[in-house]
Amino acid sequence: MSVADQNTRDEARGGLDADRLLTLACVGLPLIGLILFFAYPMAIVFLRSITVGESYGLGNYAEVLGSSGFWRATRHSLIMGGATTALSVLLGFVIAHGLYRCAFPGKWIIRSVIVLPLLAPSLVQALGLIFLLGRNGVVSRALGVEIEIYGFWGLLIANTLYALPQAVMIIGAALVLLDARTYEAAEVMGASPWRQFRDLTIPAARFGILNAAFVCFTVTITDFGNAAVIGGDYSVLATEIYSQVVGQRNFNMGAVVGIMLLLPTVISYTIERQAMKRQRAGQATGQVAYRPSFAPLRDLSMASLSLLICAGIVGVIGIVVYASFVKLWPYNMALSTKHYDITLAGGYSSLWMTIVISLAAAAGGTLAVFLLALGLRRLPPAVAQPIQILAAMPAAVPGMVLGLAYILTFNSTATPLYLLYGSAALIAIVNFYHYHTQGFLTVMTGFRQLPQALEEAAGSLGAGLARSARDVVAPFIAPMLVSVFFFLFMRSMVTLSAVVFLTTPDLSVAAVTIMRLDDAGLTSQAAAFSTCVMAVVCVAVLFMKVTLALMGRRTRAKGEA
Amino acid sequence: MKTWIQTTALSVAVLGLAAPALADELTVYTALEEEEIAAYVEAAQAAMPDTKINVLRLSTGKLGARLLAEAGNPQADVIWGWAVSAMMDPQILEMLEPYAAKGVDVLPDTFRAEDGKWFAPIGYMGAFCVNTARLEEKGLPMPSSWSDLENPAFEGEVVMPDPNSSGTGYLHVNAVLQSMGEEAGWAQLEAVDPNMAQYTSSGSKPCKAARVGEFTVGISLAFTAMQSIEEGYPLAMVFPEGGVGYELEASGLMASSDNKAAARAFLDWTMSDEAIGLYQQYKALITVPGVDASEVAEAAGLPADISTVLADVDFIRAATDQTAVKAEWRERFGR
Repeated sequence: MSVADQNTRDEARGGLDADRLLTLACVGLPLIGLILFFAYPMAIVFLRSITVGESYGLGNYAEVLGSSGFWRATRHSLIMGGATTALSVLLGFVIAHGLYRCAFPGKWIIRSVIVLPLLAPSLVQALGLIFLLGRNGVVSRALGVEIEIYGFWGLLIANTLYALPQAVMIIGAALVLLDARTYEAAEVMGASPWRQFRDLTIPAARFGILNAAFVCFTVTITDFGNAAVIGGDYSVLATEIYSQVVGQRNFNMGAVVGIMLLLPTVISYTIERQAMKRQRAGQATGQVAYRPSFAPLRDLSMASLSLLICAGIVGVIGIVVYASFVKLWPYNMALSTKHYDITLAGGYSSLWMTIVISLAAAAGGTLAVFLLALGLRRLPPAVAQPIQILAAMPAAVPGMVLGLAYILTFNSTATPLYLLYGSAALIAIVNFYHYHTQGFLTVMTGFRQLPQALEEAAGSLGAGLARSARDVVAPFIAPMLVSVFFFLFMRSMVTLSAVVFLTTPDLSVAAVTIMRLDDAGLTSQAAAFSTCVMAVVCVAVLFMKVTLALMGRRTRAKGEA
Repeated sequence: MKTWIQTTALSVAVLGLAAPALADELTVYTALEEEEIAAYVEAAQAAMPDTKINVLRLSTGKLGARLLAEAGNPQADVIWGWAVSAMMDPQILEMLEPYAAKGVDVLPDTFRAEDGKWFAPIGYMGAFCVNTARLEEKGLPMPSSWSDLENPAFEGEVVMPDPNSSGTGYLHVNAVLQSMGEEAGWAQLEAVDPNMAQYTSSGSKPCKAARVGEFTVGISLAFTAMQSIEEGYPLAMVFPEGGVGYELEASGLMASSDNKAAARAFLDWTMSDEAIGLYQQYKALITVPGVDASEVAEAAGLPADISTVLADVDFIRAATDQTAVKAEWRERFGR
């Protein structure tokens, strides 16, 4: 807490120096964004939830709480959330641990495959699971028994596929920066590898694990797509909202369920914060990067488990890519490119606009969460805490609720914000705030590992916030910023639930084109279009990675010279 | 404040962030199918060269959510080809303005609103999508009615949309209740329930799941069935004996439109001879008297006289009973 102490001391002196202004700007700008583009729309949703006829009241809540369907859906959502969280965090830890704390070749395969579910449109994941594990799927036909995928187990697999990369990203942020010297010291003192794992790795990763658990739980209970396609009759809260809003045009009741979904999230986040208070923050000293040495038992089992999970992911997505080249899955397996001749629903025109929107969301979003996390470190906890909870809340809002909230908020001539309605900027904004939680928590997890001594040293050498942010913090946190950037970019390319309500006749995005093709019954064309989107994202990510690597090399060369 | 907004609006428009709202643009919201939209809009655009027709296509349910969310400041000038049971929602009717499109008087009273807020020259039908390959593999008899689906051999082989989430779901439930009568209707749905593998949230999904062989029978839409047959899936389209449910695709003028002249011209076009000629190419169900359904539809297995397979549906009653029926369905079959 010494940075905060420093801050309090500054306050006592009453100086309003450039540094404090900068801290205020760091927190202030992203906070204004959060309030305008998250808190304000959600306040309007809350107003709808208490609107009964022409006046306000709690009647809608009473009605929802009184229905048996709601409690069944709540129970299902909580069980599904818990199961998905347990599975994703466990597997996510295995993979992150394998990537950053073990020694085996071919890690790049795991690193690139694990993000595939993030860049796959939801249709691809759903189709892939059905083509693979459905009653008439490849596995069922090969075994000659019909697997019953629809329901709890199918939904658990689908949700885990989607939550896993996010768990790896956040837990990875905690594991990548562990100090090698602590391990060397433990080695010298004769601590067994298991002891080292239990007493060094696990406590250090705890912040990341808790954050990952929070994200997995939240994205699971708010997800509608998987539940609709593979959940069968396993009704969850998100399907409940869909049924109220889309099925019965009953906005206010849908708003009630949307608001209720915030509750478990706020509660679990508060519990997590309390649990974290007991843990020391940051590392005490400077660091030496950990270079794992080969330990056969540990590394071979970690590697094979990780590769097994990757094989599953490749199977699910690969089969859809393959099916997009098949004449008539599963009845005529002759290969053909006819599904790539897409003329309806605007054809390929939406693809380029989507790239521009996604780059904007990723660049703006990464900068915003970096500034916010940077500034929050310098604020007293009493102020920082509520802001942190607000910054972690957006994942608790189902995309559909957020999209409709944006219409209610921005399609009103009462404020100048109306100018954003129907613009590409608003789609970039909704994409960023939809995934704000994941970006924010990844960067926070990374900051947790930042040695305070480093920042303090920079401070005592006279480096202001701006200088230490640029020269000390940013390079240290760069790996997390890069993964947040790619995360936001990939999700913006394919996310559907919020943007479907914000596109206009002139402005469509790739995910909406995919939905329209599928709505028109042209599922194979939708799969073909999805394949194109995934290919474009892969090429773009590859290009950006190469650029980054070249830039990194040049900077290092300059430093050496 | 106003001038500030105007200046900003102008600069934003110049920056290309938001399209400037021109008077000769028309915004149309529709739930018609992609292929027909493309054909109709091309023709309508040629007939109205001075107006740029912008079309937003969403599924029936999502379009409803969007219209209601935008109710404070509606963006559409026209609602075109949208399920009449959704259109008759009081929240939607409130946004519409009566308009008698040219030629609308040829439509029988049941296909247009008494107060002139909507009219429906076209519609779509429900259907059973039966996967013939799976039917043969499982040794099941071809179903020809709802009661055929009671057969325990169909256990876990039938899927239908949930009426609480999908308009198509309500289309079928309503048709069963109205054609068989309340009591017998509920008993029929009750008898089929044990065989139902799942109740889906999308109306076309049961047919899409049946065509790839996940289930044998998908209770769904004739459009999806015909499209699937055309693509080559081993699918048969079955209209249950005793009548299949259908839905009208209604159009209306938004009271808030700032370009009513163009909106009216467009609505007039949808009743023009040219439009009706195009309907014959795409629609199975045309309510204009004396106009036959499309040859394509006939080739896909529709009877020449479509009225022989349709259930006797009272749309006004269907709309007014909606909330009660959905609630009761949920009570009985909610999973």
